[in-house]
Amino acid sequence: MSASTVRVGRYELAVDRLYDPEHHLWVLPVSDTRVRLGFDPLGVEVNGTLAQLVLAPVGTVVRRGEPFGSLEAAKFVGPLVAPVSGRVVAHNPLAVGDPAQVEQDPFGAGWLVELEVTAFPAERAYLLEGAERIVPWFRGRVEAYRRQGVLAE
Amino acid sequence: MSETWRLLADDGVGAADGLALDEALMAGYARGSPARPPTLRLYTYRSHCALIGRYQHLEAEVDLEACRQTGTEVNRRPTGGGAILMGEGQLGVALVMRAPAEHPQELLQRLSQGIVAGLRRLGIHAAFGGKNDLQVGTRKIAGLGIYLDGRGALLFHASLLADLDIPFMLRVLRIPAAKLGDKGVEAVAQRVTTVTEQTSARWTGPALRTVVAEGYGEAFGIPLEPGELEPSERERAARLEREKYQTADWVNQLRPQHDATGSALVKTPAGLLRVYLSVTGSTIKNVLIVGDFNDYPEELARFEARLRWARLDENELRRIASRTLSGTPLGMSAEPLVRAVLEAGERARTRQQAAPVRHVGSCYFPEVNHAGGSRGAP
Repeated sequence: MSASTVRVGRYELAVDRLYDPEHHLWVLPVSDTRVRLGFDPLGVEVNGTLAQLVLAPVGTVVRRGEPFGSLEAAKFVGPLVAPVSGRVVAHNPLAVGDPAQVEQDPFGAGWLVELEVTAFPAERAYLLEGAERIVPWFRGRVEAYRRQGVLAE
Repeated sequence: MSETWRLLADDGVGAADGLALDEALMAGYARGSPARPPTLRLYTYRSHCALIGRYQHLEAEVDLEACRQTGTEVNRRPTGGGAILMGEGQLGVALVMRAPAEHPQELLQRLSQGIVAGLRRLGIHAAFGGKNDLQVGTRKIAGLGIYLDGRGALLFHASLLADLDIPFMLRVLRIPAAKLGDKGVEAVAQRVTTVTEQTSARWTGPALRTVVAEGYGEAFGIPLEPGELEPSERERAARLEREKYQTADWVNQLRPQHDATGSALVKTPAGLLRVYLSVTGSTIKNVLIVGDFNDYPEELARFEARLRWARLDENELRRIASRTLSGTPLGMSAEPLVRAVLEAGERARTRQQAAPVRHVGSCYFPEVNHAGGSRGAP
């Protein structure tokens, strides 16, 4: 286990990034103006098998709360909701070509897009940051999904 | 709950206008719009309409020439899943609401309870099963799907089989059993059931409407009141029909991952089995195991059901086999069946990469014999 991950139940949770608690997406700043987005492992699991990922074309400007793409999972078709505002500057061709990558390595090879952020300093406040905030939230969601019967165990 | 749901009813709708209205209804439930009770639309399409899933490849799923010859309309649903045939014999259920906080996995089951309650009134005991079906035992009686738009609205879709003309379905939809003749009809009949079959009385989609409406009232503890479309909903539906559902861009769209099929043979003491597999990338979307069975073995039905939406992964398939195939199915170990599934999947994936557009008849029944291969394609 690396220093930047914490084990929560059977999940290895990366705490070197920020989280959108509503949509189970992580946000990793890769430069002063650029962030990378991906699903956390709980989001991956509750969505069910991911068959399709459709990402907004590079150059598309999205605002926080708007779709930056869509997905088809076992139970539904739905939007990928942007946790921060920005312009799509890169796709992960590996994940688009084989969405199983998102399940196999959600924090690494299974990333989704990179955005050039336009309001990150202000929007950062909507995200969870730091192990002391991320871990209790994640643990709470795992327990809630278990109670609801959404998770297998 | 004190709210009253609006009930909409219409029959004989076309493929484009039927789908356009479902989506138009969602606008009233977007974030920021005034809160309102859900709308339940119970409707039928004109016989017949072939509706493919959101990300399917039209020509791969539908025999367009057969559709032209039979006057069958084709279109693409906003919801996922496989191709379906709709007409007078199938009741369409569209439940539209503000997306609740629950996860879609939970919602799919909960929102189908109105149909379950309606069927119960007819003495039919259906339950949520498979990945997104309502089943009577191991046989499907309704297909379910959820579409969440980007604005906070939810559309729950279901197709309830009052009746089903299986030979006609096999003529217009490209499903693995399509060219097996009587055996194909039998293979489908082993996996689906209808209200007509369950009650031994002929039912149509419109005749089921009242029963299903009452079922929703019972399951959700709410009254439903017949309502009308608002002028803005009519206008939006007309615009969506014109600008989306009637356009080739929508109907013919291609995605990097599209469904492809492959098959493989496996020898068992009980005879030859053929495994037909439909995959999207590495996801198994559909599977059909056909053999000379008098009664379709339940363990194979369970195996098929668990394979849907599983990854085409050796370990995953072995796990599913060990959970569903008890003892020695058909007098053999489960391993040859797992190998056949992998082989069918590999063939499908090869085709997917080599030929993004399927040619008529070439996918379910590949013509090339593999030298010396006991599992080669016919």
